[in-house]
Amino acid sequence: MAELLIRATDVTRRFGDFTAVDQVSLTVEPGEIVGLLGANGAGKTTLIRMILGLLPPTDGRLELMGRAPDREGRARLGYVPQGLGLWDDLTVEENLAFVDEAFGSRATAVPEALATSRESLVGGIGLGRQRQLAFAAALGHGPELLVLDEPTSGVDPLSRARLWDTIHESADAGAGVLVTTHYMQEAEQCDRLVLMSQGVAVASGQLADIVGGTTALAVRTERWQDAFAALDDAGVLVMLSGTHVRAVDASAERVRAALGGLEAELEAVPATLEEAMVARERAAA
Amino acid sequence: MKAMILKEFRELRRDRRTMAMLIVLPIVLLTIFGYAANFTVDTIPTRVIGPGAEQVVANAPDLFEIGEVDADATTNDALAWMRDNETEVVIDTTTQPPTAYVDGASLFTAQSASVAFARMGDQVQVDILFNPDLETSWVMVPALIGLILTFIGTIITSIGLVKERQSGTLEQLAVMPLKPADVIIGKIAPYFLLASFDMLVVTFLGVWIFDVPFEGNPWLFAVGAGIFLFVVLGIGVLISTVSQTQAQAIQLAIMLLLPQILLSGFIFPLDAMPTAIAAIGRCLPLTYFVEIAQGIFLRGAGISALWIPFAVLTGMALLVFSAAVLRFRRDLAPSAHHRAKAKAA
Repeated sequence: MAELLIRATDVTRRFGDFTAVDQVSLTVEPGEIVGLLGANGAGKTTLIRMILGLLPPTDGRLELMGRAPDREGRARLGYVPQGLGLWDDLTVEENLAFVDEAFGSRATAVPEALATSRESLVGGIGLGRQRQLAFAAALGHGPELLVLDEPTSGVDPLSRARLWDTIHESADAGAGVLVTTHYMQEAEQCDRLVLMSQGVAVASGQLADIVGGTTALAVRTERWQDAFAALDDAGVLVMLSGTHVRAVDASAERVRAALGGLEAELEAVPATLEEAMVARERAAA
Repeated sequence: MKAMILKEFRELRRDRRTMAMLIVLPIVLLTIFGYAANFTVDTIPTRVIGPGAEQVVANAPDLFEIGEVDADATTNDALAWMRDNETEVVIDTTTQPPTAYVDGASLFTAQSASVAFARMGDQVQVDILFNPDLETSWVMVPALIGLILTFIGTIITSIGLVKERQSGTLEQLAVMPLKPADVIIGKIAPYFLLASFDMLVVTFLGVWIFDVPFEGNPWLFAVGAGIFLFVVLGIGVLISTVSQTQAQAIQLAIMLLLPQILLSGFIFPLDAMPTAIAAIGRCLPLTYFVEIAQGIFLRGAGISALWIPFAVLTGMALLVFSAAVLRFRRDLAPSAHHRAKAKAA
């Protein structure tokens, strides 16, 4: 078995009385993309900061490249933080040159999409291009592990697709990837997922494992607003997509009872990842 | 409008630094200014030499606080004491009439002494040393160099470091395989070099434009300025480690800069301040740099005369810079810090 790039075992981080991360376990192997999912404040970034050695865990065991997180381990990874970690007052080329020198790597080529901006100050280029540059900087030294904290946040769909192509290429080349996101479409591109809610890992495994345990019923009716209100009042977990009402983790009998005399057609449908996440979060609460 | 005013007060109440600036600073400034802003010198340390010493001591006005009376000392001894800043005035009775050597580098003291001697008529001839025309610029320029270094060291350095934290790139530096020492030296060295360059420019301009004499050893001055730079850069780094935003860093730097301007002897003479206020001044690094700069520029003083301010500044530099580096290092390598703590436990 290949060396685990990340091994977190029952990791906990407390800030005073507040527990930001509570006994979370996680592994990342070479060549796999692990998605860390959760709402804002779920503890994803705190967990990443501990993995990188920027924040000591209060309890539990953490290994990065087979040892406690340290400078040698960090030298073998590429990191794209939420804030991108670029120097606004340096040009695109100067940013890459500095990172290359810090990692002692060969000169990273300016990505084609940034060719016309190579001498532009980073603070003056758009967010999409800044993200591409952050990726190029993180990948320049051929890292064995990529740690990406919401790497596509605020990026248009086309740029997001391009960035995910880059992530897949890195994984195909053997790099492990740990990526946090709250975009469900992105989560579906991961090999494994860890769902976090209020600091706790409420589910983990492949997409099918996580979604498989959740049921959904499509509720088809002209009076969709009334149906939504009735189900919500009855405490059924109900989701709305446009005018389509979906009841999550509820039996047909319970849904019928909640709808009362309201005429509706029910159909069992596969739950989405979002529905599975919300159901898990509700169960954990 | 009422909602807006309430919101503003609520925000201000929770912004403790701004509240300190608004409430505490005016009180502190008023108190310090009230006591420190005093150009009138009440006593002047004085020595008397030569055969007529006893008679002069008997007739000297109260302003002159007679310390040592040495009938056997010579004029050369008197000049050496003055150069080494051991006293402000020496009355030399080996000449006829007696000569009062007055330290022109201590501007207000010299002015007060000159007025007092003038009232004595022809009894004493006055020789103002080091700054014969009592030029204000001669006294101010060497001290201004210290103020400029303080400004660059504290405000500019802290802003530069906080910018790195605010933009999130400090975290990126912490993740890179750079040693904390590389990051700290790499961050501070440019400010050190720029401040050194500024020091050279201001020194040359001061000498060139204002004809300020440079009597002492330039290398000794460079060493003194270098040590002082370590202190002020250390203060700048410390400010950056306790500030989340550039505005906070500027606020804190101003709070530390103002007392240095007022209480370092740069504007108001320390001798004219009440003991408690002067004691605060004695805790400030600029006080010692002003002593070194004025001593080397005007008196041509050497290390034997300036070892005390040199020693104090060196102690401050070691203390402040070490604290700054340790705090900055903790920001860069928290896990290593944690491991060290765990081992100690």
